Amino acid sequence: MSPAVEAGPGASPGQPAAIAAVNVTKRFPGVLATDAVDFCVWPGEVHTILGENGAGKSTLAAMLCGLYRPDEGHIERDGKQVRLRSPRDGLAYGIGMVHQHFRLVDRFTVAENVVLGDPHQARILDRRAIEERVAEIGEQFGLPIDPRAVISQLTVGQRQRVEIVKMLYRGADVLLLDEPTAVLTPPEVEALFTTVHSMTAEGKAIVFISHKLGEVMAVSDRVTVMRAGAVTGEVATADTNQRHLAELMVGHPVEIGTRRGSNIRADVALSATGVTVIDGDQTLVDNIDIEVHRGEIVGIAGVSGNGQRPLARALAGVITPTSGHVTVAGADVTGKGPKAARRAGLSFVPEDRLGTGLVPGLSLTDNMLLTRPRGFIVDRRSARAEIATAIDEYEIKTPGTEVQARNLSGGNSQKVLLARELAGLGDPGGPQAIIVSSPTRGLDIGAAEFVRGLLHDARERGAAVLIISEDLEEVRSLSDRIAVLYRGRIALEGATDELPFESIGLAMAGVAHEEAP
Amino acid sequence: MIRIRLERRLERHWWQTVLTPTLSVLAAFAAGAIFLAIKGFDPITVYRELFKASFTSTYGITDSLTIAVPLILTGLAAAVVFRMNLFNIGAEGQLYLGAIFGSWAGLALTDGLPTILGVAVVLIAGAVGGALWAAPAAVFKAYFGTSEIISTLMLTFIALYLMRYLIFGSNSYWRDPESANFPQGKKIPTSARFELFSDTRLHWGLAFAIAIALLIWVLIRFTSLGFDMNVVGSSDSAARYAGIPVRRTVIIALLISGALGGLAGATEVAGRAYALDPNGLELGLGFTGIVVAALARYNPFAIILVATFLGGLRNAGVALQGLPGDRVPVEVSLMLQGAILLFAIGGEIFSHHRLSISRANPAVVT
Repeated sequence: MSPAVEAGPGASPGQPAAIAAVNVTKRFPGVLATDAVDFCVWPGEVHTILGENGAGKSTLAAMLCGLYRPDEGHIERDGKQVRLRSPRDGLAYGIGMVHQHFRLVDRFTVAENVVLGDPHQARILDRRAIEERVAEIGEQFGLPIDPRAVISQLTVGQRQRVEIVKMLYRGADVLLLDEPTAVLTPPEVEALFTTVHSMTAEGKAIVFISHKLGEVMAVSDRVTVMRAGAVTGEVATADTNQRHLAELMVGHPVEIGTRRGSNIRADVALSATGVTVIDGDQTLVDNIDIEVHRGEIVGIAGVSGNGQRPLARALAGVITPTSGHVTVAGADVTGKGPKAARRAGLSFVPEDRLGTGLVPGLSLTDNMLLTRPRGFIVDRRSARAEIATAIDEYEIKTPGTEVQARNLSGGNSQKVLLARELAGLGDPGGPQAIIVSSPTRGLDIGAAEFVRGLLHDARERGAAVLIISEDLEEVRSLSDRIAVLYRGRIALEGATDELPFESIGLAMAGVAHEEAP
Repeated sequence: MIRIRLERRLERHWWQTVLTPTLSVLAAFAAGAIFLAIKGFDPITVYRELFKASFTSTYGITDSLTIAVPLILTGLAAAVVFRMNLFNIGAEGQLYLGAIFGSWAGLALTDGLPTILGVAVVLIAGAVGGALWAAPAAVFKAYFGTSEIISTLMLTFIALYLMRYLIFGSNSYWRDPESANFPQGKKIPTSARFELFSDTRLHWGLAFAIAIALLIWVLIRFTSLGFDMNVVGSSDSAARYAGIPVRRTVIIALLISGALGGLAGATEVAGRAYALDPNGLELGLGFTGIVVAALARYNPFAIILVATFLGGLRNAGVALQGLPGDRVPVEVSLMLQGAILLFAIGGEIFSHHRLSISRANPAVVT
């Protein structure tokens, strides 16, 4: 029995697909995760599953590698139906998954991790043989890695290589890469793509799971787009473009573009001078100077964990910087706490929306009051009216104003948070400066676009906006100026339109600007 | 193959919040019936007597309400902080301190005062005593992260032995000098005592406890302090983000809880024992408050009802001994109380989850 799909580019006639899902349906309580989906990958091909959060792409991938079993339909490998009861079954059929969150033992070496849990591994380890084989695979596929290195000493990019080597070592011919670029710097992404192509050159089939359009266009041969559990299109990359893919993902035309401030003023509404945060013997934020003018968006780019969180918290008054000063609309608010910063006109949308920005166990009404001054008796009437208005204006999907915030999706909680933090914008007593961490992380395209629109609008209405994001595309599309954070310092700073993409990438990776080619 | 799984409930109906505690109580009675039957008692008879002794006779219900007074207050003491994930399990000790302070104030300060003032003095002193006893635990928790579960429990033992020492171990101010053979506490003057309802043992402390429940409800629901407590209880990180002083809020909440425990001791002194009396003072009221709070899901009004119900169970223990035939052990009521808490905690999962029973499809291979 052969799969009910036509041969795609790169496939020789009569050759069966390396892996195929035939008419698979998977249901979870209250959710139809995938609905009669057909999907196949030919040997030597990179096939992307593209979709927003919750579109069903991870569920499909989980069924392809044996993590889930389809409720209906089946999986085929080289044209034969297979029953995968576990990821171990999957590996026995040469199907390997590289998860977004690595599954490595920190204190083991690379070689030890590679053979850990391998059912074909002999009881007595022949370390030299294993290490040689690991090094060999690394060389063959452009994955340079020291087999004797201990995992805890490796960078995130190197750990990912270990995961890939692990799958190749166990003989995987079909590799599923789940959002592999989410944790990588631009140079690392490029190296990964090189590896991917050297694998397809060897006839391996690659399933690439992503929601980033630029990458998808760069790496894949074919793209299957999913929305709400169903396939909305399958196209060859050569025959499509980002705009078209975005449309398939969202279901309606999407505006993708960059917007710059048209009304940048001379006065600075948010400034940091020499801000340093030291925790124990670790310098988290190292002597940072930032100025954000009214009508301007400044973007802080950088790989996660380079001081973004302590910087945002120090600016917003949540923690007191070890040294340095923060001023909001001219008032020094250093070390005076979040309430003082707010009184001076600072709004702050933290990266952890549900748990820090919003209190999960409180109603939406109460969450509107979280950062507002409250008298002895809490007055909920105006807050209730305010959230009711916001629900209409921002199209927040919620059963009502009194539901607990924990019941909202990521996009809707971000909207509630922004409704609160942007309230009074343009008024003299309203927000003068706004810090937004990871403004659109985890949001679907529609909600992300809406959030970007709000930030753009805040800028046009004269607020100083500081966004802190690991998504370089986002930082570049929104910001007038960019500062790259590396190990707590600003490694590179300049007007967005004057900074070459490569320089930003190198700065994010810690290569000093001067040394850049 | 049939598979049984727990699935998270997407929606919760109001009746589910009532159903779980009700079913827990019924399950506890069912479990108790098994033990009674094993011991050779007829569970139906025992339960009928139990209800008669605690609820369906005039003396029964008034006695149950009398015990409910301190139980409402210790229930509130637990509820006010448990809902913030702060586990003050030392209401028992705070109650003793409330009794020590309250009886001292009653003896030393109230002579000649009008009753209403005298009682107020006793109650205020009791609240102060309870709060003071919670203070070390509160400060250690807020500044050093010391587990309040351990510290409040340890303070309870200290309080118990302190109270015993004051009456049995020394010629303290509290001890009645005329009770040389069998040491007793000095009786407080009538000006420091709650008035009784006609010829029952029930006193005006009941109205006071209900008023306090109302006050706690207002505090949690409508005041800024209550709002801060809700935020701190739900998310430390959000509290810090919003600039709510986490330490101060934790300390204040634990002090309020301690004060409520102290009030329970003071109402016992002013309404029932009239003296600091380690024998006359009901033991375990503080711990039972935890059961009250859990079963009432920390709702102040439900606490009033649950306290009356559990008060009745305590009450029945003694009455059951009077049954003809073999004596039913007093421990039956304690056992039921424990079983209720166990089932209530176990049943909690069903108010958030539901059972899903399904037939797993065997995969068909063609």
